[in-house]
Amino acid sequence: MTERDAILEVRRISKSYGSVQALTEVSFKAFAGEVIGLVGDNGAGKSTLIKALSGVHQPDSGEIFLDGVHHDWKSPQEAIDSGIETLYQDSGLAPDLTIGSNVFLGREIMKKGLLGKMGFLDQKAMEAEALEDLAKVGISVPISRRTVSQLSGGQRQAVAIGRAISWARKVILLDEPTNHLGARQAQEVLSVIEEAKKRGLCVIFISHTLPHVLQVTDRIVVMRLGQVVKDAPTSEFTAESLLASITGLAELQG
Amino acid sequence: MPENDRPVLTSSPETPRNRVREILSNQQFLLFVVLIALMTYFYSRNHYFFTVGEFQNIFTNFSGYALLAVGEMFVIVAGGIDLSVGSTVAVSGVLGAWVMNGMMNGHGNQFWVLTVGTLICGLVGAFVGFLNALMITKAKLVPFVATLVTLSAGLGFALLFAQFFNSGQPVGSDPAAAVFSSKAIWVFTYPAIFVILIVIVAGIVLHLTKYGRYTYAIGSNAFAARAVGINVQRHVGSVYILSGFLAGLTGMFYFMQLGSGAPTSGDGFELTAIAAVVIGGASLTGGRGRMSGTVLGVFVLTVVTFGLVFINVPPAWTQIVVGGFIALAATLQSLRPSGRKSV
Repeated sequence: MTERDAILEVRRISKSYGSVQALTEVSFKAFAGEVIGLVGDNGAGKSTLIKALSGVHQPDSGEIFLDGVHHDWKSPQEAIDSGIETLYQDSGLAPDLTIGSNVFLGREIMKKGLLGKMGFLDQKAMEAEALEDLAKVGISVPISRRTVSQLSGGQRQAVAIGRAISWARKVILLDEPTNHLGARQAQEVLSVIEEAKKRGLCVIFISHTLPHVLQVTDRIVVMRLGQVVKDAPTSEFTAESLLASITGLAELQG
Repeated sequence: MPENDRPVLTSSPETPRNRVREILSNQQFLLFVVLIALMTYFYSRNHYFFTVGEFQNIFTNFSGYALLAVGEMFVIVAGGIDLSVGSTVAVSGVLGAWVMNGMMNGHGNQFWVLTVGTLICGLVGAFVGFLNALMITKAKLVPFVATLVTLSAGLGFALLFAQFFNSGQPVGSDPAAAVFSSKAIWVFTYPAIFVILIVIVAGIVLHLTKYGRYTYAIGSNAFAARAVGINVQRHVGSVYILSGFLAGLTGMFYFMQLGSGAPTSGDGFELTAIAAVVIGGASLTGGRGRMSGTVLGVFVLTVVTFGLVFINVPPAWTQIVVGGFIALAATLQSLRPSGRKSV
């Protein structure tokens, strides 16, 4: 097999908040059609890394390449425009808006012609297309004109992930997508991740639930204290060895 | 992937029974019932309640509050609060009156005087809104505090200007404006017609356009709005400018009612506007509410105020009844199923 080009490459990025060094020269590569698990204890720098990749924060130094092109995102919009979608922990959707409005938030379908130029939304089209888009990634929503606040936690998460996958062109960042979900709902989310992988997207999956990480990922990047301490195919890990490298026990044991 | 593996969103299908429950839990529907009941009661106590003259009065008073409440509605839906609108009415009314007075001394054409006056009032209001926007989005003040600053300072400036222009008396005297504002088509006075048009446009903007959608999205979950690329700071700023602009137009409205610009003309109006929005079903935490609810809220407040006077109830009672309405509306809101900020 020839060496493929990475769809996402992070080169030596560092970020500090005041005197706290959140990321220290973090580097890794990610490929299309690959699910990468990003794991680490609280404060390991996972969320900071995600924020840098999604354009929310700018790293102090280092470079990010998407499809071989150097990017220096100044805002989330720029990252989105480049093809990266992010699902943030617990706060991806506007609960008072309908499912359709949420799926199309930030890229609304406008009415045709003059009305559209005047800012009028085509709500019908958005509701209908949202259902289609969600169905395509394996989420069926029989009821669309409901606000997200009327859905259960698992349903909300399904909609949020479905939205991210249907919009992502290259990379999708999932920050703790199975948090607060029941076992069955979590499995549903994992199956949606498989669907994203089949579509050729690169999925970066952050989770504290190690069985989920071992189940769905192809490769695992372990972070500790702002640094990448291990980057290896999932098959090389067991539950014990993964836990050991997260906590740092692996090095103590040699 | 097998069909049964799919996450299926199947919470309570829309049965006719759910539909009925939805209507009953709909604050606007209840408000409408209350409105009809109130009007029937006032009519039964005094048959002169249903006259063209009385309804002209009701619609005129409705209009002044409606303009303010509509601007306040945008701010509240976006998750903010604007306490400065009452002072903005005063300061724009005084400044507008001064300019219009100057134009009339130069024998300006009545139509132009009123047009320029409207523009000046709107601009002064938008400027106050701009100051609010700066304090909230740049200096990161909490909206309550930022608009408290302009509430206080705005009133002070209105008094100062009045002192300077006309030794503290209401500024300008324009009986012609008052005459114009009392002309009417059926129950709608001319200014009321303008206001109703503005309210309709505002409702369309809030519910059918991208601008309105972003306003809801920000009030519902500002983080999510930013994450999808909405420029939250700029949008929030624009909402305060809009609220200020409408408050400025309200200043012009009261100039036309009184024929002069009085520094006390907007006293306490911000509370009436906020009350109307809350009674109409909007949530003070943002993201919820409909323009039709706010309009109904203003209407109920106006009818209560008028009706109680009409059946000779002491005015103090009006305040108490309004308080009761707010309590009722807030209770209804707390009973509604909440899907709050976290998703």
